[in-house]
Amino acid sequence: MHIDLKKEIKQSNFARTGIIILVSMIAVAILAPVLSRYDPTQQTAASLLAPSLSHWLGTNHVGQDIWSQLLYGARISLLVGFSVGILSLILSIFFGLSAAIIGGLYGRIVMRIVDALIIIPMVIAVILVAAYVRPNVLVLILLLSLLSWQGGARVIRAQALALKEEGHVKASATFGAGRFYIARKHILPELTPILLVEFIYGVRRAVFVEAGLAFLGICDPMLISWGTMMHDAMRFTYLNVWQWWLVPAGVALSLTIIGLTFISHAAESVLDPRLRGEAVA
Amino acid sequence: MLEIRDVRVNYGNDTVLNGVDLALDAGETLAIIGESGTGKTTLGLSIMRLTEGTVKGSINLDGKDITALSEKEMQQIRWNRVAMVFQNVNNVLNPVHTVLDQVSEPIVEHKLNSKDEARRKARELLSYFGLPQNRFSAYPHELSGGEQQRVLLAMALSNDPGLLILDEPLSSLDGTTREELGDLLRQIDKKRAQLIITHDFDTASRLSDRIAVLYGGRIVETGPTQEVLRCPRHPYTRALVRAYPNMTTVKDLQGIKGRMTRPVSGCPFHPRCTQAIDICSREMPQLVRTEGRGVACHRGGIITLLSTVNLSKSFDLIKAVDSVSLHIEAGEILALVGQSGSGKTTFAKMIIGLYPPSGGSLYFDGKPIVRRGKDFYRRVQMIFQNPGESLSHRLSVLESVMEPLEIQSIGDPEQRKNKAIQTIEEVELPRTDDFLKKYPHHLSGGEMQRVAIARALVVDPDLLIADEPTSFLDASVGAKILKLLLNLQEHRGLSMIYITHDIAAARKVSDRIAVMLEGRIIEVGASNEIVAAPRQDYTKRLFNSASILSRIEYL
Repeated sequence: MHIDLKKEIKQSNFARTGIIILVSMIAVAILAPVLSRYDPTQQTAASLLAPSLSHWLGTNHVGQDIWSQLLYGARISLLVGFSVGILSLILSIFFGLSAAIIGGLYGRIVMRIVDALIIIPMVIAVILVAAYVRPNVLVLILLLSLLSWQGGARVIRAQALALKEEGHVKASATFGAGRFYIARKHILPELTPILLVEFIYGVRRAVFVEAGLAFLGICDPMLISWGTMMHDAMRFTYLNVWQWWLVPAGVALSLTIIGLTFISHAAESVLDPRLRGEAVA
Repeated sequence: MLEIRDVRVNYGNDTVLNGVDLALDAGETLAIIGESGTGKTTLGLSIMRLTEGTVKGSINLDGKDITALSEKEMQQIRWNRVAMVFQNVNNVLNPVHTVLDQVSEPIVEHKLNSKDEARRKARELLSYFGLPQNRFSAYPHELSGGEQQRVLLAMALSNDPGLLILDEPLSSLDGTTREELGDLLRQIDKKRAQLIITHDFDTASRLSDRIAVLYGGRIVETGPTQEVLRCPRHPYTRALVRAYPNMTTVKDLQGIKGRMTRPVSGCPFHPRCTQAIDICSREMPQLVRTEGRGVACHRGGIITLLSTVNLSKSFDLIKAVDSVSLHIEAGEILALVGQSGSGKTTFAKMIIGLYPPSGGSLYFDGKPIVRRGKDFYRRVQMIFQNPGESLSHRLSVLESVMEPLEIQSIGDPEQRKNKAIQTIEEVELPRTDDFLKKYPHHLSGGEMQRVAIARALVVDPDLLIADEPTSFLDASVGAKILKLLLNLQEHRGLSMIYITHDIAAARKVSDRIAVMLEGRIIEVGASNEIVAAPRQDYTKRLFNSASILSRIEYL
């Protein structure tokens, strides 16, 4: 790769801001036990306290420390986000690339499945499934992954089909290279920018959907997540607790999504020379 | 008249002739051709029984085996029935006698005529060979080389021998003298048989009806002189023809790889042959005669590497390639010339397997191409027209050149690297680490083209399809690349389909030219013939539009 990532990151404000936000979020998730004094699941009698020195953001209706919940909530958000991002990307690559290089009947079948999946609205589908199985984190990750690879697969297939016709890919075939060698050595590396963008996009979507589902109360209510926090906080809006209960969770979620959006925007413009302002040397 | 069977001559341990068969009828002229050291002169001397080596086999002259004769009987035959003109003019004539004496001496010695009669005959012969009257009484050192040669020819004919052996009769002469003496030799009465020993195709072509090509003490090819020279079938003959400067070929001169050695077993030419296979180093091939031609080669002479039969390709309604039947011999460069859009690249892409043909068939090495596996691509490679497209922008120069080796799983990584670097050097690119790490967008068009060429050459292919390989290069680099490809033809026997719109370049590198117009081959033939006498108007137009530097009008 002749793109100097370090330099590109330094030059792009979006990339820098996005990375700073994301890295802070990851740090918060990892350092949650150090940064908080309370177990976020610990229920106490001291419910609905206002912020104080002992409870920075007060406590919720069952007496759990909101600051701790906010920190631990990042863990679930990022875990679900990155896991779904990776899993759905793997599925996208597998189906998109194989449809492109094998083609034929197989390719057509895969693409019809993709078309079908694209029509199904993910949130509704998850709600329906969740009605039957109370999804824990693992089931949620699998469910979201299975329902969110189709868009990426379609993009990857389209790009791979175009790349297949390029001179150097054809040249590689004239050295006797097989289809899988070409896919691995020539097409996949060429797709890096798209894969990166697709990945970040997948993470962002998963973070959002997870929070949304929790907010709607579809997930395990015992799960500590920003969505659950908002869900609970909404029930007590008649009290004046939303300022330190609802808002911090909403801000944390927004920040994470903004950070990911910045990174994907920067990645798109850096890795795709056509979107760059300057000419390539 | 002369029949030689399985003649073997040894000087000590050195085998000079290793089983030579020849037959020569009265009135016939046979040229023995070969590089120096192949045993040509030894063959002549053996017929004269003047060789110092031990001769085995039989040499029949007028039905008598002269190898069985005593020296006394041989003296009767020598100079009377068979005479030889030696190669080295200076040492043959006696410096203390006048030339007239020397020419009449054999006549007198063999007591065929009286002294006066002998002198009259000698004068006649000397005049025939164009020695001026006033030089008859000169001493040899007073004559020029050409004149001495005339004297020697007169001397050889003095006793009217039935068989005349001429060892390099014209090689030391200048062009016009050569032509004059050549005509005279050609006109000597038709009853006589002549055996011309020469390394010179011009002499052979001027004087002989038939030719026998000698290599390493064996005859490798025989046939009518004009046919053999025009269309040689043995790789050695073809290589010799290519090495010979003349007015009829337009291509650059080429040598033959390696030096002449005398291998212990197998075909004598196999160490230098570019199409040698296993058996060539083990068994001596026999001369197989068909239709007046004879070739001693295990592979039946030069092989046809690739042929297409009625190969066609249509894109919807457009016939891009229309029933093209062509063949490429091993070690041959075929130029496919035509304007853009004539279907040249489509034809190439069908051979390499990037387009499936709409009709017709392809044969490689005599077998139809069914599916192209790694082994096919190891032997057939293509240089694409646009190097910028054929190189991956994410592979460095070294990685690019190593890629074919990786795909073909040739060698270990270290060997691949060495081979790649060697090839990079071969195409005149620097081998510095700095350069090897460069990416295509750091390279100039010419450098990219050479990297693309290195990629194609790194697997040592037998057939290279080069689609305008020099179109991105300036003249000096382009010339170097073409030279490189010609060298590869010489050293590896590389065959090439050279696709170009530039007929001026085509004539410098190709052995044959095929002219393509609107998907059809309208004319195909030896480059020199196409250049000298194009048959189609379109070909003539191509020549008229080709580059000419100085506008000289030939009248």
